[in-house]
Amino acid sequence: MMLAFILLGALAIVGGVITIAARNAVHASLGLVGTLLCVAGLFATLNASFLAATQVIVYAGAVMVLFLFVIMLLNANQPVTSRDPVPYVRELAGIGGTLLAGAFVVLAFTYQDPRPLAEGAGALRGGTALVMGETLLTRFLLPFEAVSILLLVAIVGAVALVQRPAAQPDGVPDELEEDVGAPQERRQVPRPAALSSEGEVRA
Amino acid sequence: MPDLIAALLISLLKAVLVVLGLLTTFAYMTLIERRLLGRMQIRHGPNRVGPMGLLQPAADAIKSIFKEDLTVTLADKLVYTLAPIVAIGMALTAFGGIPAGPAGSLFGENPWVYNLDAGILALLALTSMGVYGIFLGGWASGSKYPMLGALRSSAQMISYELGMGLSILGLLMLVGTTSFHGIVGWQAQNGVLILFQSLGFALFLISSFAETNRTPFDLPEAEQEIVAGYLTEYSAIKWALFQMAEYVNMITASAVMATLFLGGWKGPQFLNAVIPGVSDWPLVWLIAKIAFFLFLFIWVRATLPRLRYDQLMRFGWKLLLPLALANTVVTAAFLAFRGSGGLWFLGVLSLAGLLALLLMSDRVRVLWNRPTVRRPESEAVRAGGD
Repeated sequence: MMLAFILLGALAIVGGVITIAARNAVHASLGLVGTLLCVAGLFATLNASFLAATQVIVYAGAVMVLFLFVIMLLNANQPVTSRDPVPYVRELAGIGGTLLAGAFVVLAFTYQDPRPLAEGAGALRGGTALVMGETLLTRFLLPFEAVSILLLVAIVGAVALVQRPAAQPDGVPDELEEDVGAPQERRQVPRPAALSSEGEVRA
Repeated sequence: MPDLIAALLISLLKAVLVVLGLLTTFAYMTLIERRLLGRMQIRHGPNRVGPMGLLQPAADAIKSIFKEDLTVTLADKLVYTLAPIVAIGMALTAFGGIPAGPAGSLFGENPWVYNLDAGILALLALTSMGVYGIFLGGWASGSKYPMLGALRSSAQMISYELGMGLSILGLLMLVGTTSFHGIVGWQAQNGVLILFQSLGFALFLISSFAETNRTPFDLPEAEQEIVAGYLTEYSAIKWALFQMAEYVNMITASAVMATLFLGGWKGPQFLNAVIPGVSDWPLVWLIAKIAFFLFLFIWVRATLPRLRYDQLMRFGWKLLLPLALANTVVTAAFLAFRGSGGLWFLGVLSLAGLLALLLMSDRVRVLWNRPTVRRPESEAVRAGGD
């Protein structure tokens, strides 16, 4: 298990490096997929099977597919060669990254268990959906519900952003606009029978 | 230590056997499918190679191995090769967790390759990774039609994955475990779950058709519109690997439906009176149930026409998803308020829901047949063009 943990951790880092170093956006997101899968593997070696499965289903299986979807749809996989619009962005990112890495090193060496490791591992009980659900819906109920409301707000926001404006002038008089669902019935122009049959569907 | 190595070797052997079994089934599935389609359409189907056409799969295999393996100039070489491997790898891995008999029944060994507590979740995770095969294959081909096929398929599979996951949520709440063994054991005690979750089963069945890209949801390779979709630029063995992945996914979906809803590897209990212990025979029952579902896949293919793409998306989001949610809510309410009530009430509720859906089918059809957003520009074009 220890060996698997170290290997997966190293692979996750490799995936992360690919993510930021690859010139092609699709390759970069594939690197990120690899990292996410390795993190799922890390969860699995830590005996958190439910978390591992959820990580793969949600992040690798859905979120990253949507990422790739957008990259392919916008054909954004060409490398960006123009100058960065933000001045000194690389230098700033380098300083920020170094500070973060330093903070992690400090954390790793000064970390103290909130409770003994054996006790915590016992409470994990294999990390099944049962244990996860129990913990989430009792001890962490408020944060859990707050996150779900946050997601709901995000969904509503997304719908509001992409919705077409309702009232665009379209040149059709308003009294003719009532029956949107069955456009073929309101036309005065006679249509061939085969085209205007009852079961006709239109996009 | 020798014990560990022996266990490892046995696991490896079982994995190889499962892979061989799946690939042989795939090979003969293509033949059976073509023969059955031929029969349903009143024609012969392939019957020239060997007796009754039985050597046709071998001929096909030799052909696809020795055909020239083309790579398009604009293709992204690495991803182009990786895509079919991902597709078939995920498809084959997913099957291993499904138990085919009671513990220790297969020559003293367990008839499954791996056994996880997260059972069905792990399987859903692996099959959700299968999207990448199709998706990356379409992108890496570097031409337009495969790209369109890839975009279609990713949107389709993500949409229906939601419906699929939600439609078994009620079942999982009822059983209270995500491991396949727990689910099979529960059904052995309380009766098969299709009785109590008939609506959930119907939704899961439909989602499975969409997830495996089978008719009437085979939009990713709709040949009239986008040639062969993501497969257009593939040839020879890489093309065959994609086909393999599709059929293996079909077999896995059948096995999952059999395990979740039809009692899994356990046979009907009343047969024990005739032959003692017959319901505990390994492999037999699972294979029979898988065969039934595979036949269903072919039957539907011969019967139904393909949906249009916007119909497919509306069907998934406006009918499948809300119904799956409703099924979850009703099951949760039943579990919360059942007291000591029998399960039959849930069965009646679920069946009533399914029947109502069938009876109302003409009323709900507008949900996915009619557009919701009016598009003035196309309307004007149509009015002028007619």
